[in-house]
Amino acid sequence: MFKKFKKIAAVTAAAGLLGLALSACSSAEKATTEADCGTEKAFCIGLVTDIGKVDDKSFNQSAWEGAQQAATENNGFAKYVETQDPKDYAANIALFADAGYNAIVTVGFLMAEATTIAAEKYPDVKFIGVDQFNGGASANYSGLIFPEDKAGFIVGYLGGYLTKTGKTAAIAGGPDSIPPVRKFIEGFVAGVEYASQEQGKSYPKASSVYYTGANAFNDPAWGASTAQQYLDQDVDVIFSAGGKTGNGGLARTAQKAGAYCIGVDTDQWGTVPEAQACLVTSAMKLIPQGVVALIGQVKAGTFAGGNFVGDVGAAPYHDFDATIPADVKDKVAALTAKIISGEVATGVKQ
Amino acid sequence: MLRLQAVGAVINMMTTALRSRKSLYFYIVVIAIAFAYSVNSVSTVAVAASSITFGLPLAMAAMVGIMCERTGVVNIGIEGTLLTSAFFGFFVAALSQNLIWGLLAAIASGAVTGLLLALLTVSWKMDQIIAGTIVNILATGLTSFFYKQGYSLPAIFPRWSIPGLSDIPFLGRVFFQSGPITYFGLILIFVLYVAMYHTAWGLRTRAIGEYPSSAETSGISVKKFKYINVVIAGAFGGLTGAYLTLELVGSFDRGFSAGKGFTALAIMIFGRWNPIGALLAAIFFGFAQALANQLMIDGLVAIPGPFINMLPYVLTIVVLAFSAGKVRGPAAAGQPYEREQA
Repeated sequence: MFKKFKKIAAVTAAAGLLGLALSACSSAEKATTEADCGTEKAFCIGLVTDIGKVDDKSFNQSAWEGAQQAATENNGFAKYVETQDPKDYAANIALFADAGYNAIVTVGFLMAEATTIAAEKYPDVKFIGVDQFNGGASANYSGLIFPEDKAGFIVGYLGGYLTKTGKTAAIAGGPDSIPPVRKFIEGFVAGVEYASQEQGKSYPKASSVYYTGANAFNDPAWGASTAQQYLDQDVDVIFSAGGKTGNGGLARTAQKAGAYCIGVDTDQWGTVPEAQACLVTSAMKLIPQGVVALIGQVKAGTFAGGNFVGDVGAAPYHDFDATIPADVKDKVAALTAKIISGEVATGVKQ
Repeated sequence: MLRLQAVGAVINMMTTALRSRKSLYFYIVVIAIAFAYSVNSVSTVAVAASSITFGLPLAMAAMVGIMCERTGVVNIGIEGTLLTSAFFGFFVAALSQNLIWGLLAAIASGAVTGLLLALLTVSWKMDQIIAGTIVNILATGLTSFFYKQGYSLPAIFPRWSIPGLSDIPFLGRVFFQSGPITYFGLILIFVLYVAMYHTAWGLRTRAIGEYPSSAETSGISVKKFKYINVVIAGAFGGLTGAYLTLELVGSFDRGFSAGKGFTALAIMIFGRWNPIGALLAAIFFGFAQALANQLMIDGLVAIPGPFINMLPYVLTIVVLAFSAGKVRGPAAAGQPYEREQA
């Protein structure tokens, strides 16, 4: 028995490596070609995803869109590597750094450590860490961070006005030890409470479930089952945040008539069409714009390192524009301005 | 007089059943559910229903493993079967805008992965672990490569409330307000149990899994049996994939099965290669997952999320350690069968 499992482990590891080799490289449109990277005239952008996929309809995809756009704008070349295993972060970064890429975008909080180390090892390469707080001094590493709590607060506020049962909930594809995940969720909870007080109602605190583990971002079935567990308890507003796990929660919520769901990171109306029956809005981080801005700095030679705070907001209501009462829309718009300016604090620990 | 005897026999059977250890566990579970229900009926029903939602795909996937290993073929390609069938189920349903076509495509593609495994292991006598890995790699590679965003299903399989039964408190929501694949899957698990232990097919299958050359001697075509069982198991895996995409989630993403095929192997061992055992093991595992969620939902205990997420795994280890005893799988599982030449 034990021998069998040892064999399984070994073969699985080998298979993983093979899979990595097979799926690792996919190139985008070519302004300059990859062969030019490292030469004077070429401008090359490499992107390393977190264990999620580049088409996760969420943060990896947003960052890749930004990288592609930046490549077009700067007449450069962009390419990505999908990380299959956290142990490969450094190796994947090295793929680009060793090839003489100018800018490397690493996506996700979990890659912060690997990126910090790489920034020291390759001082000539500029590193952009999406969702990473750069606590160090490297001048060639800039964290692209977002006030996720503000985005969460705005959609939570809307949810607090939309709920009929008074029960709201959040599903987090990711543990609360990842600040962007936690800030989204806690912002949402605070937003619901704010709306509840404003209406003079005493809604129970929005509940939240965090998912930890190797598949935290990549388990739609878990997200769907958890959403169902909420729906069975009369929750009618669900903020489902976190890669494919979150997408599963959105899709499941769409099956219940009268329930609302809220997406995350990008406007998920387009990326998760199966959720359109419930998707009122998404708590957005303007990741592509942030990536484009930072890569623009690299190209212009003004890249300074440190941290770059990107913008957040709520996505358009799309089909729900007609059904959400006008006064609620006005209130959300007014609150959005106050939250962004800092006039109203979210109260979420940063 | 006869009637008295019959009553006596029934009483005798009942008292024996009452005294057995299995029914002791049953009473403990019933009492615990009744207690939880009296404290908070809404949460109890939600947790119980979620136990089924979380557990059912694992139970169904474990049946794939049971059918294969009982017939002497180790199948670590369940993950690949789930992924392939979910892929075909989703895209056929999305393109034809018809769920039934999707369901059939999922079952057929699952059967094809079973056929591939049978070809590799039975005909070509390849190492079964490698063969299963090939199925997994192929599934991951092909579904990732051909996956395209932007398709969606016309609907998902709706829940069917069974008239009368669905109104029963607790049991109604937990068992009788589910989707068609859930009902079908549960029935198939019981059918498999009966077939495995009470039919000639089952006896032959188990004989092949334990001692194939002896089965061959008694006139059973080992090769044919292995082929049939592994392909049927693949179709069962296809049904599981269809459940995930067409009934539970309603979407497909790359890497959609998220390791459920591997968890199913553990469930199979936990359930001692017995369909009902695996069903109970899967529901137990699903319960632990639902309980972990509920602990976070209610926020009653201040335990960090990652520790709560460990609950299903920790509980499984504890239960295994105390209840399992010596677990032994089919003796001939994993060994390619060569007919002896006289």
